[in-house]
Amino acid sequence: MSVIAVYNIKGGVGKTATSVNLSYLSACQGNRTLLCDMDSQGSATYYFRIRPAKKFNTRKLLKGGKHIDRNIRGTDYPGLDLLPADFSYRNIDIALDDLKKSRQRISKILKPLREEYDHIFLDCPPNVTLLSENIFHAADRILVPLIPTTLSHLALGQLLDFLKEIGQDRGKVLVFFSMVEKRKKMHGEMMRLLRDEPGVLPCGIPFLADVEKMGIYRQPVAAMLPNSAAAESYRVLWDAICGKLERP
Amino acid sequence: MQELQQDTRRLPESVEMGSLMDALADSFTVEIEGKRSSVAAWYDTFDWRLYNHGYLLRHGDRHWHLLDRGSGETLVTSRAGTGRKRVFARDLPAGRLRALLEPVLDVRALLLLVTLQSEETRIRVLNRDRKTTVFVEFSRQQVRGTDTVLRLVRLVPVRGYDKPLRAVRAFFDEHGITGQVPLFYDFEQGLRAVGRAPGDYSSRFAIRLDPDLTARQAAITIYRHLLDTMLANEEGILRDLDTEFLHDFRVAIRRTRAGLAQMKKVLPADITATMKEEFAYLGRITGPVRDLDVYLLKERDYRARLPELLQEGLGTFFTDLAEQRRVEQKKLVRALRSPRYRQIVTTWDEYLRSDDPTPSAQGDVPVIDLARRIIRRRFKRIMKDGRAIDDSSPDEHLHRLRIQGKKLRYSLEFFRSLFPEDEVGSVIRQLKRLQNNLGDFNDLSVQQEMLARYLRGLRPGSRRNMELAAAIGGLLTNLFHEQQRVRKRFARTFSRFGSRKNVALFRKLFY
Repeated sequence: MSVIAVYNIKGGVGKTATSVNLSYLSACQGNRTLLCDMDSQGSATYYFRIRPAKKFNTRKLLKGGKHIDRNIRGTDYPGLDLLPADFSYRNIDIALDDLKKSRQRISKILKPLREEYDHIFLDCPPNVTLLSENIFHAADRILVPLIPTTLSHLALGQLLDFLKEIGQDRGKVLVFFSMVEKRKKMHGEMMRLLRDEPGVLPCGIPFLADVEKMGIYRQPVAAMLPNSAAAESYRVLWDAICGKLERP
Repeated sequence: MQELQQDTRRLPESVEMGSLMDALADSFTVEIEGKRSSVAAWYDTFDWRLYNHGYLLRHGDRHWHLLDRGSGETLVTSRAGTGRKRVFARDLPAGRLRALLEPVLDVRALLLLVTLQSEETRIRVLNRDRKTTVFVEFSRQQVRGTDTVLRLVRLVPVRGYDKPLRAVRAFFDEHGITGQVPLFYDFEQGLRAVGRAPGDYSSRFAIRLDPDLTARQAAITIYRHLLDTMLANEEGILRDLDTEFLHDFRVAIRRTRAGLAQMKKVLPADITATMKEEFAYLGRITGPVRDLDVYLLKERDYRARLPELLQEGLGTFFTDLAEQRRVEQKKLVRALRSPRYRQIVTTWDEYLRSDDPTPSAQGDVPVIDLARRIIRRRFKRIMKDGRAIDDSSPDEHLHRLRIQGKKLRYSLEFFRSLFPEDEVGSVIRQLKRLQNNLGDFNDLSVQQEMLARYLRGLRPGSRRNMELAAAIGGLLTNLFHEQQRVRKRFARTFSRFGSRKNVALFRKLFY
């Protein structure tokens, strides 16, 4: 059983596409899988054509237990469930701040779900917030999609420093390259530079139109176009992650 | 995941599947997926070890699926090419599946019970976002080799979409499709179609005797059961599916022989005499293969008894045994296909059905009296012989006592249903302990004799035979030491069997 947070300080790096496709692949292998959409924009929720119940909001999320149970939805794929995001999540930090042990709340909420599922994916919003701190606390692995550019590299450094500051194990972090464009020289150079760093997976998701089109057909690319290059690159990535999950 | 309630319904014969699908498409927004074919092959051992253990095992789509019979949950899915007709634990893919099943199967083979070929059409019921809210699976399943066809519709709920599920259920209710079927209906119906039923064979001897029966009626019931066991195992022996068919067959022969000897005046003297001879013959023709099986099954154990240096030599030994077994198995098959065998079985079968009026000396005695007398006599004999054994007694005396123990065990099992279950159970448990000790002692002597014989038959000269001889020598030493240890335990084991409490229990039940 593992909780995998897909996270980056920066937005628009392919977090949601990663969460959606990896959770789908996990379920395909027979793992009971839950994807928690933690981003108030609700993109993962949208990709699976799910609408959260009108009564569901931040308050219910933070109460946990049956309030979450009631709001988990089955996707169109066997073994894959989703906890939808609500727009009220945009103010989640304020709500968290009012609670006792405000840094461990998400961890506590996930505890009963750990029994029920083999893998839990957290699709996280960008930025460093109280919510991200909660998520780092709860996650067994922090999966960071990294566009191989200088600024992204800088952001990764910031994340690692922050983890150190809050006393989290930096070994939890797994980095892979996202939105890779072969023809860009800088991408190649950055990847060479980072290749041997600890926690960097030797695989990347290319920048492909098929991934972007997920917004139109609203399915994981691995389900819609199982023979595409995009689907194949997610499968390679998932295999690499599974290899790391077995070794805690 | 929430345990989703299973809802599978049988389509009545009057309902045409195609028009039902059309009606569903008219009432809901749906997406119809293409037709898919699949094959489900169900496996278990001949004596239903998986079923009795709460498992079901299905092969299909190049995977094994181990299922929980109670909840329907899939416990393990494991990739493995095509299924075969016979699969041993060692043939299963390494991993969790094999680890779970190995101790359950032991030496028994998984056999193909029944295959269902299925054509499925899956319809997804969608909401306004074209999100799937219910899966409706129509299937037409043919039981291979029979005319039986199952036509089913399965409603698979999606978590959090209860309302559409209720609407789909109502749709089927309104169309008169209300007959919900139990979990694993396909498996059960498939079995029924091929004439099997879960638990239809067990190697345990378990019959219920009515205390009002005469000795003769009881004997006939017992012999009938034993003959049925033999007949049930015939095919497995001929096809050489696993070693236990022959084993169970031989146990039934031995029990029959014990019955004929102990209840000797219950049937007319001539039939008892003939059958005693015939069953002795059956014992003889089935002996060689079983003896070899016993050694072949010990391969792993024998290797473990030797240092690595000597293990190499054993390879030749077991190759020789396997070759001998091949030859003996052929002879056995020939014997079981011979007119003589057929005739023995048919004669006995017909006799047991015949209601023979010929009077016999003990036939009309109430069974309970007969049972008590036989058990009492056997018990006295064991106590007398066992007490006479001390550390200096020859091995021969222990062997004799083992035979006595076996006879007592058979008679206790024949008649156990006539006595209070927990008390007779306790008596049998005590006896079992003694038998284990004596059995181990005997097995170890027989093995040593066999190895010594094998050693004498080896021609010196080749390197290979030298290594072989060294391995056999090592084994002999090891087995000898173990036999001494077993012998040392005899005195304590026997005194426990002869304890005041146990003797009192025997007296209470059988005197």
